[in-house]
Amino acid sequence: MKRVLQPFDITLRHGRRYQRMRRLFLGFSVLLSVGLPLWHLRALEVEGAGLAADSRWSAVARIFPTTPPPFLGAPTSVWVWLFDLVDPLESLATALFMGVSWNLVWTVLPGVLLVAFLGRFFCGWACPYLPVLAAANAARWLLSRLGLPTADVKLPRVTSRVVLVGVLLVGSVLGVQLVPLVYPPAVIGREAFRAVFYGSLGAGGLLVVGAFLFDTFVSRAGFCRSLCPGGAMFSVLGSASPLRVVNERSKCTDCTVCDVICNLGQSPMNNRLDSGCERCGRCIASCPTRALSWKRVSPLKVEGKQ
Amino acid sequence: MNRRGLVGALAAAAALAVVPKKTRAETKRKLRPPGALPRGTFEQACIGCFRCAEVCPTKVIRFPSGLSLDVATPYLDFDDRACVLCMKCTHVCPTDALVPLAADADVVAREVRLGVPKLERSACLPWTGRGICRLCYQVCPYPDRAVEVVGPQKAPLFHPEACVGCGLCEEACPETARAIVIEPLP
Repeated sequence: MKRVLQPFDITLRHGRRYQRMRRLFLGFSVLLSVGLPLWHLRALEVEGAGLAADSRWSAVARIFPTTPPPFLGAPTSVWVWLFDLVDPLESLATALFMGVSWNLVWTVLPGVLLVAFLGRFFCGWACPYLPVLAAANAARWLLSRLGLPTADVKLPRVTSRVVLVGVLLVGSVLGVQLVPLVYPPAVIGREAFRAVFYGSLGAGGLLVVGAFLFDTFVSRAGFCRSLCPGGAMFSVLGSASPLRVVNERSKCTDCTVCDVICNLGQSPMNNRLDSGCERCGRCIASCPTRALSWKRVSPLKVEGKQ
Repeated sequence: MNRRGLVGALAAAAALAVVPKKTRAETKRKLRPPGALPRGTFEQACIGCFRCAEVCPTKVIRFPSGLSLDVATPYLDFDDRACVLCMKCTHVCPTDALVPLAADADVVAREVRLGVPKLERSACLPWTGRGICRLCYQVCPYPDRAVEVVGPQKAPLFHPEACVGCGLCEEACPETARAIVIEPLP
């Protein structure tokens, strides 16, 4: 029997610099989750202990005596210098309860604009769940090498939208914010903060372990594809994004490498990409004949290509 | 047991190890940070970004670790330290679940009600004639209003209506007495 092409069989032939950029970006995002609580903890200790002026950490306390430090918060609602950014999904959940305020509009606007132009780029470039997904994919590869069957259930495309509406609806009925409990960037950020500040993990670890098991044994990248409410939100907001991967059919040899390497079940080979594409660009880097590339497409044509 | 079952069992064991037992503080009380919206509304406005906890100089703002719906909302843990009423947390909240307040004694006295002080007189040093302690009175940001001392032994008398509930008295109360607890608002 001919062995089916697996994602791990594919090497990223070119675009290494591009992939390095993506890893850097992702590393920075993970660093935000873990490194910043460390920094704040240190800054607080300096402030609390009133360390001597020659301590290198006292610079932190000197620059920010009363104002907040330059970076604060979870990956989903980060304060960067003067910019106060909140994830569109969490903003929507807040708006359902509290109504729309100017504060809410200003905090969500940069994210909404970015997603409108770049689509689900957060999922492919910055989500702190990506290392876990990579581990799950490695586990799938290992299972297949051991000759064990790996299930790859493809939940219907509508599932993610149902989950998105469901989370918002159930949260509204219960009168609590459900999004920070089930949205991996929020959960991972909080657990990293908890681990750094208090040296313990909370129940959020369960969600991450559950998502890992789901992605490993049930469906490849199934959590990102079908269960993550944030991914669904980005898909909706970015459905008219003009930035897309386009296959130049004259260069294409129909080798299926790009379709196999895609975590989210897109088909760049046939130019069949929907709003689920996370713009990670691995298909472009894997293409042996460089048939794939980023193209700016008229937003009006985008959804018609199904 | 096959490999798949084994992996599942290992993962389940790891998951159990990740979730610690409920701590004493969590079961005891739920005080919200200063400037918090009323109970019910606060849980709807807070998105659990933990910025308030990151700027808290005494690290009293915590998050529950158990399996519950309020696992992403901050509470105050007065077991070791207390709130110093710096109001920094109120200025970093992205959704105004904590309404910004000036670190001004009058503003704080007017707007902040973290909890109400509860004095166990049978444990208090002056009230039991074991000494003239006055520690709670000395650390109180609102002496003579929130707490006054009465009688020859300077025994503390709390006025909950004038108390902001910062917990400094609870922190100062000697280990041998531990007579003061800030309790949640009724």
